[in-house]
Amino acid sequence: MPTTVKPVKLDLARLEAMAESDYYNPYTIFDWPESLGTDRPWMSEDLVTLAGTEEWGKLTREQQLALTRFEAVNFFSLNVHGIRELLSEVVLRIHTKTYADASEFLHHFIGEENEHMWFFGTFCLKYGGKVYPAVPQVGPGRIEGVGDAATELVIFARILIFEELVDYFNARMATDDSLPPIAQEINRVHHQDESRHVAFGRHLFTQLLDQVKESRPEDIPVLANYLETYLEYSVRSLYNPAVYRDAGLDQPLELRRRLLEHPARHAAHNAILNRTRKFLARNGLQVQGASA
Amino acid sequence: MSDDKLTKILTFIHQRNPEVGELNLDDDLIDRRAVDSLAFVEFLYLLEELSGETIDPEEIDVEDFRTLRAIDKRFLHGAAAH
Repeated sequence: MPTTVKPVKLDLARLEAMAESDYYNPYTIFDWPESLGTDRPWMSEDLVTLAGTEEWGKLTREQQLALTRFEAVNFFSLNVHGIRELLSEVVLRIHTKTYADASEFLHHFIGEENEHMWFFGTFCLKYGGKVYPAVPQVGPGRIEGVGDAATELVIFARILIFEELVDYFNARMATDDSLPPIAQEINRVHHQDESRHVAFGRHLFTQLLDQVKESRPEDIPVLANYLETYLEYSVRSLYNPAVYRDAGLDQPLELRRRLLEHPARHAAHNAILNRTRKFLARNGLQVQGASA
Repeated sequence: MSDDKLTKILTFIHQRNPEVGELNLDDDLIDRRAVDSLAFVEFLYLLEELSGETIDPEEIDVEDFRTLRAIDKRFLHGAAAH
C-alpha cells in the first residue's frame, strides 16, 4: 500500500453505533428450507439478463423459471467473489496510519462482509450445487501512471461500485413476494447492511478524491475513464454464458452478444448504474456520453 | 491458427488497446499490456468462440495466455506454429 497517502479524517461514530445496534447472528437467523422447488422464480423476473427482450418471450415457462434459478446462483456467486476480493484489500489496510480513523468501522465491515459471503455461498451450494467460478485476474489490475492517492482511490471506488450495483438488485428482490422467502430474506439483510457500507464508502471516496485533486489533478480524467470502464465491466459480468448453458439455452455466446447490444438491456444498464454515475458526476468524474 | 482467427484476436486487442502496436507470435502479451484484467473476461469468451470449446475459469494457467503462440497451442490446436 502506498505510504504517501495522507490519513483520512472520518467521523464514523454514527455508522459504528448502527453496526452495533443492527448486529445479528447470520448463522442462526435464517430458515434454510431443504429445497426451494422449481415452480417459482428465484430471481426477480424483471432483473434477469433477458428481461425486456424478445429472447425472454421465446422461452417456455419452464425455461424462464430455470433461467431465474441459474441467474440467482450467478448473482450470488458474483457477490461471493466480489466480497472475497474487497476483503483482501480492506484487510491489508486496517490499522494502518492512513486508515486509523476508520479501523473501528472496518472491523464491523470485515465481519459483516465475511457473513454476507457465507450466506450467499450457502445459497449457491445448497440450492445450486455450486458457486460459479470467477475468471482470474490476468494482466494489470490497476491503473498505471497515476499517483498514490489515485491508486488508493481506485481500490475503494471499485468496492463502492460493486456494493451499489448489487444493492440495486438486493433492494428490488428484498420485497419481491414471488421469490422463495430465503431469497427475499438474504437480499433484505444484505441491503440493510450495505446501506452503511455505501455511506462509509462515499465518505472515504470523497476524502481520497480531495487528495487526488490537491496532489495530482491531472489524474482526474484518467480516473473518470477507468471508473466508467469498470462500471461497464461490472454490469457485463451479469451475463454469464455458463448460466445460459445450464438453463439449456442455445448458443450462449451469441445470445450474450445479442443481449449486450439490445436497446432494452442498455436501458436496464443505465437504470442499474444511474445512482453511481450521478455520484461520480457530482464529484467531477463524469465521462461525457457514457452509457452502458 | 488460421489467419482469420489471428485477425480476430488482434482486432480485439487493438480495439481495446490501440497503443499496443504490432504484435508478433512470441511477444509477451501480459508484459506488453495487450489485454488488461477488465478486458480479460471478454478475451476468454472470444477464445471460446474461436475454439468452439468452453474454457473452465478454474483451469486457467496464465502461461497459456502469455503469447499468441501459446494461445494457439492451448486453445486453437497449434495451427499457427506451422
